[in-house]
Amino acid sequence: MDELTKEFVAESQEGLERMELCLTDLEKRPGDVELVSEIFRTVHTIKGTTGFLRFRRLEKLAHAGEGLLAALRDGKIIATSELIGALLELMDGLRAILHLIETTGIEGARSTDDDRELIALMVDLKAGSAEAAVNGKSAPPMHDVELLALAAGRDASRAALLSAAALAPAPILTATQDRTLRIDVEVLNRMMNQVGELVLTRNQILQSSPDAQNFPELARRLNNVTAELRQSVMQARMQPVGHLFGKFPRMVRDLGRTCGRQVRIEFEGQETGLDKSLLEAVRDPLTHAVRNAVDHGIEPPDVRMLAGKPVEGVVRLRAFHQSGSVVIEVIDDGAGISTEQVLAKALERGLATPEQAASMTQREALQMLFVPGFSTARKVTNISGRGVGLDVVRANVEQVGGSVELESHLESGTTVRMRVPLTLAIVPALVVRSGGQSFALPQNALVELVYMARRDAESQIERIGASELYRLRDSLLPLVWLDRLLDLEQSAGTELQGFYIAVLESEDRRFGLVVDDLKPPEEIVVKSLSAVLREIGLFSGATVLGNGTLALILDVAEAGARAGVRPAVEAVKVVEATAKLEAAGRVGQAQIAMATSVVIYETWKRGFGEDRRGARMAMPLSAVERIESVPIAEIEYAGGRPVLQYGGELLPIEDEDEVLLEMAAANKPGDAGPAATILICLRSGEHASKRVGVVVRRVVGVSPGTLLAATAEVCAEPLAMVKDRVTTLHRDFVGQSAPPALQEVA
Amino acid sequence: MRNTAAIEIDLRDTMSMCSLRAGAGLFGIETVQIREVLGTTSPQRVPLAPEYIAGVVPHRGEILTTVNFRVLLGLERRAGPGCVLVLDEEEGRDCFGLLVDGVGGVVTLARSALEANPSALDARSMALFDGVFRMPAGLMVHLDPQQLRPSRLAESGMFAAARRRSYGGQR
Repeated sequence: MDELTKEFVAESQEGLERMELCLTDLEKRPGDVELVSEIFRTVHTIKGTTGFLRFRRLEKLAHAGEGLLAALRDGKIIATSELIGALLELMDGLRAILHLIETTGIEGARSTDDDRELIALMVDLKAGSAEAAVNGKSAPPMHDVELLALAAGRDASRAALLSAAALAPAPILTATQDRTLRIDVEVLNRMMNQVGELVLTRNQILQSSPDAQNFPELARRLNNVTAELRQSVMQARMQPVGHLFGKFPRMVRDLGRTCGRQVRIEFEGQETGLDKSLLEAVRDPLTHAVRNAVDHGIEPPDVRMLAGKPVEGVVRLRAFHQSGSVVIEVIDDGAGISTEQVLAKALERGLATPEQAASMTQREALQMLFVPGFSTARKVTNISGRGVGLDVVRANVEQVGGSVELESHLESGTTVRMRVPLTLAIVPALVVRSGGQSFALPQNALVELVYMARRDAESQIERIGASELYRLRDSLLPLVWLDRLLDLEQSAGTELQGFYIAVLESEDRRFGLVVDDLKPPEEIVVKSLSAVLREIGLFSGATVLGNGTLALILDVAEAGARAGVRPAVEAVKVVEATAKLEAAGRVGQAQIAMATSVVIYETWKRGFGEDRRGARMAMPLSAVERIESVPIAEIEYAGGRPVLQYGGELLPIEDEDEVLLEMAAANKPGDAGPAATILICLRSGEHASKRVGVVVRRVVGVSPGTLLAATAEVCAEPLAMVKDRVTTLHRDFVGQSAPPALQEVA
Repeated sequence: MRNTAAIEIDLRDTMSMCSLRAGAGLFGIETVQIREVLGTTSPQRVPLAPEYIAGVVPHRGEILTTVNFRVLLGLERRAGPGCVLVLDEEEGRDCFGLLVDGVGGVVTLARSALEANPSALDARSMALFDGVFRMPAGLMVHLDPQQLRPSRLAESGMFAAARRRSYGGQR
């Protein structure tokens, strides 16, 4: 049996498994159009492919089924129990033939292999039920038991047909996703070894006591074994992205034909691993993006010829790892996106006022494409252009904690870049306390933290009606009190010295969440909640903290929505959209800009000219984990280099400005001394995931900024445009937000 | 031979009941329906959850939703820890916790001694209790874990004095 047939059989069997589930659901909800469509698609796919593979018998049967299902889908007939019974039989019939093909390679042509009766039944039902429907009679849906009995009765009469299916009982599935996973035996063996190691360590710990000499060593080993085991399990869950790409060549070819384009598809980084659940989550967005690329991106051959491009367009799918996330890009060499058209459309749809449109940068204009109900296709085709494009892509990707960026260059193409985390199971989170309980906030929603002393609160928090606002630098931030939102008991009696405002941003909502206290950030293991608790809507899960207590994970977007924070539609999210600025001349001279948020700090050494004081530098916010104030007495020296014991790890301290020396010189011995401000940063590049502390004189603030392309003529250091001023970026931490792809494209 | 046959029949007719206390009442759940008894634990409260939810407790790497039996009975919530029983929800697929005041010993009772709920019971109790045993010391109410499932309690609406309130802004 050739590869194609094998794949067809496997796919069809999968389809039939889904169909089985849908049929059982259909019994419960006979009117569900979605379900019927799903079943229809399965049978339709089988029919379509069999014609191509020349399985005449299978085709005939599927064709009859399709006819019946089409009538059902169009509402001409009603899903009675009799009908569902017939559909189940149809499914068994298809399964039997598929089984025959799988085992013998042919679909069976003996006299016993006859489906005429079944086909006749379906034709009858199609006609008969139509009458019943006209008469206004609809049999009530039957109970499972009756249905089974019905199916069993028919089974007996069609024993020949169903014998094969009966031999291979249908697998029982509880979820629509396929639940099996191919794992390298090597990985499994390693996991087993690690589990063994874990058991041994546990035994030793049980026999030991916290005071025992070897206890620290045991604890360390436990730590190592756990980390290794986690790594292995993650690896086992990893699937190559190539699995997703497999379907695209055919799809692109068919699409190309339908819309009269010549398109070739290319792949890169197919072996890049991604967690299985995430792989499923990006499947649809990716399909969307590829469709868009073919339908909107690539021009018709004649237009391409005129533009001096190769007639055949190229859609490139590229996947790679980058600082703890997987990036999947869909790159086309098509027409690119015209800013004017986007703006014109935005005006037409009333998504922007003329004044707004006039003042928009190209990047902001491209951002409009993500607004729901926006489509720039001049005509609606049956493939794309119905206004369900990029907004769906973005929603889907954001749902799994990822982001989408769009980059377009007129006449040379568009890139859709999806960034998804490696895994969902373990996420970095900030733990906060409110009303005596702990809650976890996913770190990716956190923008910054502000401490507010109780005495300052009165003067700094402003009230407009019922809502309270905090003036954070230039903008007004709506405040949400977590204890009030959750109806918690307020920290009774003990008037707190102050509280914290966690500035959060999710799904375009930006607000300050007021909490009583902060705990150290933790990497939390996300556990799902039961249905009753999910219904509350504010919690996306729960986790067990390091100290053994439970913490609920707050759904940040929902919390904002519940508290009445409105999404800022016109406020362009800087971190999300990336775009090349309008190319003034040819490719290569294009100025590349990349939006990001930066932490601005003061440094003296790097200032130019005589007065070096007050010079500013910036650090990409993505690189900064925390800003700590550390008394200089706590900073130790190893081999002449300053180090800091920080959360159990030894942090090298970078002090280019020699702030520490100055402070130490000014300090009297024996004193704890002044505190140095240290940015705890995560290094990128080859030193990936190594933390380092950077001493700064003063943190000025956090601000959106635009990374500028490194041009050696101007300055060897990376630069960014922050608040309309060119600011030097710390060179070691830029890689994280400026993907190498940018340079390559240019 | 006769003796063993007699014992078999006898065993088939008995229920091994784990007795529990909540308020002044005595209750029993069949031991085969109990997965585990967690000693004194205090579940972590879940804000905005229905009143009858005691909270969540960690259990074997999962988060166990725990029902407060006292609240179901219409009693006051009790401060401090209680005993959590881990019970099966829907044929061993999931489980949930039941918070009670304390767990007593295991008693073996004849199945035939189980009597239907007295007709004088109120609707809430009718929905919760599966029947009663007349014990020398008083009545023991038989509980069926399936009747105490959080999802069922939520569906019945009888106990849904949910504390869901909209965000008031000011207290």
